[in-house]
Amino acid sequence: MSGGSHAPSMTDAHAKPRTGISKWLFTTDHKLIGVMYVWLGFFFFAVGGLFALLLRTQLASPGLHVLKPEVYNQLMSLHGTFMIFFFTIPILAGLGNYIVPIQIGARDMAFPRVNAISFWLLIPAGLMMISSMFLQGGAAAGGWTSYPPLSDRQYSPGPGVDLWILGLHLAGLSSILGAINFVVTVTNLRAPGMTLWKIPMFCWAVFITQCIILFATPVLAGALTMLLTDRMFGTAFFLPSAGGDPVLWQHLFWFYSHPAVYIMVLPGMGMISQVLPVFASKRLFGYKGLVISTAGIGVIGFLVWGHHMFSTGIDPSLRFFFSLASMVIAVPTGVKIWSWIATIWGGSIRLRTPMLYAVGFIALFVIGGATGVWLALVPFDVQVHDTYFVVAHLHYVLFGGSLMAIFAGLYYWFPKISGRLYNEKLGQLHFWFTFIGMNLTFMPMHFMGILGMPRRIYTYQAQYASWNHVATLGSYVLGVGMLLFFVNMLWSLWKGPRATADPWEHIEATKTLEWTVTSPPPAENFATLPIIR
Amino acid sequence: MTFATLRLRHGLMAAAVAVALVAAGPAWAWYLDPVTPVAHEVRTLFFKALALTGGFFILAEVLVLVAVLRFRARPGVPPATFHENVRLEILWTAIPAITLVILAGPTFTTLKYMETVPKSDLTVEVIGHQWFWEYRYPEHGVVFANEPLVVPQGKIIAADVSSIDVVHSWFVADFGVKMDANPGRVNHTWFEVERTGTFRGQCAELCGVLHGDMHIEVRVVTPEEFDRWIEQKKRGA
Ligand SMILES: [Cu+2]
Ligand SMILES: [Cu+2]
Repeated sequence: MSGGSHAPSMTDAHAKPRTGISKWLFTTDHKLIGVMYVWLGFFFFAVGGLFALLLRTQLASPGLHVLKPEVYNQLMSLHGTFMIFFFTIPILAGLGNYIVPIQIGARDMAFPRVNAISFWLLIPAGLMMISSMFLQGGAAAGGWTSYPPLSDRQYSPGPGVDLWILGLHLAGLSSILGAINFVVTVTNLRAPGMTLWKIPMFCWAVFITQCIILFATPVLAGALTMLLTDRMFGTAFFLPSAGGDPVLWQHLFWFYSHPAVYIMVLPGMGMISQVLPVFASKRLFGYKGLVISTAGIGVIGFLVWGHHMFSTGIDPSLRFFFSLASMVIAVPTGVKIWSWIATIWGGSIRLRTPMLYAVGFIALFVIGGATGVWLALVPFDVQVHDTYFVVAHLHYVLFGGSLMAIFAGLYYWFPKISGRLYNEKLGQLHFWFTFIGMNLTFMPMHFMGILGMPRRIYTYQAQYASWNHVATLGSYVLGVGMLLFFVNMLWSLWKGPRATADPWEHIEATKTLEWTVTSPPPAENFATLPIIR
Repeated sequence: MTFATLRLRHGLMAAAVAVALVAAGPAWAWYLDPVTPVAHEVRTLFFKALALTGGFFILAEVLVLVAVLRFRARPGVPPATFHENVRLEILWTAIPAITLVILAGPTFTTLKYMETVPKSDLTVEVIGHQWFWEYRYPEHGVVFANEPLVVPQGKIIAADVSSIDVVHSWFVADFGVKMDANPGRVNHTWFEVERTGTFRGQCAELCGVLHGDMHIEVRVVTPEEFDRWIEQKKRGA
């Protein structure tokens, strides 16, 4: 299992180090590729975030005309698509790309060129999505879920949906190639002595996530291909008029998209498991339990897709099965939460920005977890399905969960990756804006949904006005917070004080390998491969 | 400003907001007013779920808060070193698991209750179009669209839901009824409204540009008034 001899040597890069733009264009270095993923992710985060602010502005009061209905539907669809496929998944792949090889004591990913391909595939994918907005008929407007027949040619004739499908195809291919690379890397390239139970929790989380991608993403690719041939070549997989079944799309789509929730949240949980011990100066509690529960979530996650379809008229006994399976997921999730609390209990806590985000993550994710259990209960799910309650739930999981974790990890690894320190005061201010803005925006959505306000509507009945005022106000608070974040990061990249190898002063038990090398780490990471005792 | 005073301020602010909300009345309502037996059952199930999961939720939030306030790094106070406790780990796996088994019981009975369509007094066919609803009363030969659905109070109404074009969803929150209208199949649901009045709902599945305008209005009248209305409709048609 020792990987030293397999570590790819980038001899050509050594012979003539590239500079300027070609350093980035032709690189196969996992660190540079990782950084490019992060930049790309934040570009789409900014665009998707601006879209969200426009949507919230349209919804500030009932009956506004900020956006036309067709524009509203396009921006709403692209907001979801960008945040999921072009921000969360790539940025997690980027941080994994940068950190995982170093944490396992490798010099690079197993297949550096494939790694570069994975990243570069996202550029044409993103361009397709963005360009579709400016073509006739505009971008895909059927939500990120694009249910047929609405997404069929008859009801969405323009090129928007075709570009959406092809863009997701490329993004999916990028994910699948990346997944193969991560799985092989973690399996084969670990430093001598790093047995299974010594793999850092973040690497475990990434490894399990990439296994999920490997099994789930091809199913999405298949479904997308079927939709494409329905649109282009006259097949009728999802067309009821010719004997097809639109509900089949929903099965295939959610077979991918429920596991996709874990693809987006498990790496973040890995980061939390890394950050909490560091800033509590205490070893991670229940490491093996955390690994097993992560794997458990990965497996059970494939058995619950039907909870997105409780109101489609699927078989009653199936509904009960999906309901039970969805409830079961709460158990391994609970194990994680209790273990994190036990980790910081009795520690010496330093409330720096990464720690604020990690603690904020627990506080918010618990809410998303509780509403997740309620949504598993079929009768209640039917009541609030496709309402703002679900919007609230998914944002507590993906914003309160994934995004808070991404910020925790980003602030934590910023000095390592950039070689500079960020501004701590601004970082903490960013946290408070995010935490307060997040709750102002999404907490009221629970009530709107229970009261019956459907999601994806461009305007609404007057009875929902008061909660919507609050949500829109909250979204502006979030917008200001994100500005603080971008200012902090850009300013610090340029002017921040230099970082030492270990600016966080890790205790021995929490110090993973990336903190033993310089900030940023040298080319090929390690002069001699570390040996894990 | 220390973290503790910040938290205290937040607490006070939250309390003030809560008081304001209660005083503000229906504009800040947080649960709907159920008017069918199913909607009542759903609310009861929701309260059971709230009670069973609420304890874990509060425990987790309080522990996080206490840990952050109590275990701050202080010079001369070394951090604890424990990092596993098998008994504790078994406990926090088993107790939530048992709770979920308990919760599965009422979920199953409520599910059974809502999905078994009882012998109905009236059948209506609900058909979604881009972007309006068509209603049919097959027992009376009445068909219309773009008008409120009219049903008698206290009678069991069976609704057969389908669509002519894309997927829609017939959703009236106060009834606890949401059923997807799929083209090419018919889904069955039912409701029995306990009191007269006008109830509003809206299409719940994204169905194109004017999805947001696809409103539903159900007028619930006394059985006598319903008989008069349906006769009038028949003559009109
Ligand atoms: Cu799901
Ligand atoms: Cu609709």
